[in-house]
Amino acid sequence: MNTTFPFGFQLPLAFYLTIYVLTLVVHVVLMAYVLGGSLWLTWASLFPGKEKTPRTMQPVARLLRDWMPFALSGAITAGVAPLLFVQILYQQQFYTANLLLGWRWMVVIPVLIVVFYLLYVVKSRAIASWALPLRVLLACGVATCFLFVAFCWTANHLLSLDQSQWPTVFQSGNAVTSAITLALRLATWVCGTLPVMSLLGLWQLRGMRSRTAKWDAEEALVGTSPTEWDYRFSQENRRLMILSVAGTLSAFIFATLYYSQLDQKVRHSLTGSAGFVWLMVLVTSAVAVILFSLSRRKKSVQELSTLLGLTCAQLIQLVAAASLREVIRLTQADLTAVTQNAADAFQIGGFAVFLIFAVMNAGLITWCIVLVKQK
Amino acid sequence: MNPVYPVNDYGPLMPGLVMAAVAIVHVFLAQFAVGGGILLCYFQWLAMTGRCTTARLFVNGYFKILVLISFVLGAMTGVGIWFTSIQVSAPTIGQMVFNFHWIWATEWTFFSLEVVAGYCFYRYHDQLTDRTNLTLLGLYAFAAWMSLFWINGILSWQLTPGSWLETHSLTDGFFNPGFWPSLFFRTIVCMTLAALIGCIVVNVIPSLDRSEKQELINRAAHLMTPMLAMPLLGGWYLLSMPEDSRSWVLGGSPAMMLFFMISVGASLAIGSYALIGLWFQKLYINGATATLLLFMAFGATAGGEFVREGSRKPYTIRHVVYSNGIRPQDVAELRQRGCVADDPFPVTFESNLPNGNIELGAKVFRRQCAVCHTMEGANAIVHLTGTWDTDQMRMNIAKLQQTKPFMPPFAGTAKELECLIQYIRWVKSKRQQNSDEDISQETLERITHWLDEAGTEPADVHGVSTSAMAAREGSSW
Repeated sequence: MNTTFPFGFQLPLAFYLTIYVLTLVVHVVLMAYVLGGSLWLTWASLFPGKEKTPRTMQPVARLLRDWMPFALSGAITAGVAPLLFVQILYQQQFYTANLLLGWRWMVVIPVLIVVFYLLYVVKSRAIASWALPLRVLLACGVATCFLFVAFCWTANHLLSLDQSQWPTVFQSGNAVTSAITLALRLATWVCGTLPVMSLLGLWQLRGMRSRTAKWDAEEALVGTSPTEWDYRFSQENRRLMILSVAGTLSAFIFATLYYSQLDQKVRHSLTGSAGFVWLMVLVTSAVAVILFSLSRRKKSVQELSTLLGLTCAQLIQLVAAASLREVIRLTQADLTAVTQNAADAFQIGGFAVFLIFAVMNAGLITWCIVLVKQK
Repeated sequence: MNPVYPVNDYGPLMPGLVMAAVAIVHVFLAQFAVGGGILLCYFQWLAMTGRCTTARLFVNGYFKILVLISFVLGAMTGVGIWFTSIQVSAPTIGQMVFNFHWIWATEWTFFSLEVVAGYCFYRYHDQLTDRTNLTLLGLYAFAAWMSLFWINGILSWQLTPGSWLETHSLTDGFFNPGFWPSLFFRTIVCMTLAALIGCIVVNVIPSLDRSEKQELINRAAHLMTPMLAMPLLGGWYLLSMPEDSRSWVLGGSPAMMLFFMISVGASLAIGSYALIGLWFQKLYINGATATLLLFMAFGATAGGEFVREGSRKPYTIRHVVYSNGIRPQDVAELRQRGCVADDPFPVTFESNLPNGNIELGAKVFRRQCAVCHTMEGANAIVHLTGTWDTDQMRMNIAKLQQTKPFMPPFAGTAKELECLIQYIRWVKSKRQQNSDEDISQETLERITHWLDEAGTEPADVHGVSTSAMAAREGSSW
């Protein structure tokens, strides 16, 4: 670990680590939309605001309700790839953490099934006639389910890092070895989902605004004037930008506190040659996200250049965060064993098959989107 | 040597049962998703070519069900089966992932296509042209079937790795002897399930009159006609199985034979009902009958999956990993070193163990038996050994692969075996008996003699011998 991650490693390990980090980022983007979106809907339900149209009926909440089932489906599907590569790289750690958590880990599946169906309930038109407490309960229920899943993943990850504690955890059944570390790490990720969700929301708002005719017709039906409609967009843009800044800042604070809890050896690796560049990239991209968001917060619709800039900064930030996550893990892992796992897996054929079908299916996915766009 | 993983206690249930439950549900739903894609393409084509005007109504209703069941339950139980596999046998799923990770990654690209094509149709079908809808459904069906194609290669490899054992070539492993019969057979099952669920959907569409329903049911039942090929494909699949596995299915193991017969009987009943009805052109399946037939299809799937899982015994991956997660080439070493020497996890499923020997025995039980057996619950060791006296128990377990050919050889020292027997006897005595701390040298020598007589190889004499496999020890698999 004497060079910037993942360049200091042998080719097979660097290769699998890169694929793992990139596929994880894709999963995190969709996961952030779902988790951040559920928190937004909870906030909108709890605090409907004093405007004529409650926040739950404003553009962002409507978009979230409409798209969250698909985003969850996408998050789960996208999650399969990093789940596959984590088993190549850190098989023993991942499996043992799974087993130590036992049913507490398995319960993630029924919880996700329940929340999946709840998202369809949230999306349905029928809930408009529900009593307010019921709608609030539903929104809180959805967010709680997602937070629970996030908690399980965090517990699993932390357990996988702490090999010396495994027998003790097995004996005691207490899977949380340090509640404060777990809380800080969980808070970092939960807050980190907010700017990503905001960004996706901004893209969607832009798309929604560009299809003016359709939405205007819908709004005209419920008596919204074009001026009100513009005002709403401007308000929602501002809220998303503020959320982006607040999420980035709070994630940064929690990450700093989490850093203070880490072992000295791990902290050295983060500030040393393996992690330093990524740490700088992370800070710089976070600052860029904050500055972009603050400077454009008053626009009613974001320009394409702003959104592209924010997207680049956000993606770089996610790649940096995911890379630092691996630097922490590799510092605590048996590096010889991890290197050997990757080297052995590298000998197995099939990469060309994957590459061919990945390109083909990427093309077919694009075709599906083009077909739908032509409607 | 595989690392030692903690083993969880599921009370009266053995982990294998938990695995079977999740696997059966997932396979059933996943096969419905694959067949559903094919059925929808067919009905979309019928609608757009004017062959069946009510087919459009069916497509819209059916796809909602497909999304709500398959996209949610199917996808989640798919992840669930992965998690459950880790709980049951981490070394097995580890080997599967290791050897086929690029195949799995390829399957993932098809999942992604399936989700995108499916959602595009789900959200926008009422705004798209017929031709575009057919394209989207075609892509969805293609992606769903391809996901079956890829996973089928990995699953059939577990039972029939074929020449992969010598070559370690991905192609040999993937296109193993069981691949094609299994793929064709499963495709027919997928189409049958989709057709049966289609019949239920037709019955719940309120705007259809009886003749319209009958027409749609007849059209859906067309997807069941390939069931005619099932006996042939079933026979082909049986022939592709290793001889010892086939012999258990065909009478060697009463439980497996029973489940096999359930599967065959249920398939025969469904096929006969549909085909006879179609032949006389009087097929009308009402909602209740369709539901009953679907339950029978679930029974057939459950039976088939039980047979598929069970016939691999004593392996989870033939000649690669035993059902208890121990690798064949490690048995000889474990006989010397002991199977729990590296086990850092304390015994938590028993309390008040009277002495160190019984505690060691409990650990041995956990390492070697707990995946498929409980002490007093399902498939209980106490009951299975109920008629054996102590000496018989020593000999039968020392020669386990000869006592019961679908069991793996005992992979531990003579002392560990004796401790396991003391533990079994202690549980049998309602946890009252307090056996001696000391184990006589004579007992250990007798057990060692039996262990040596049995050898370290499994019972199957057909296929590749483990000594040949051991020669490759140190290779990456």
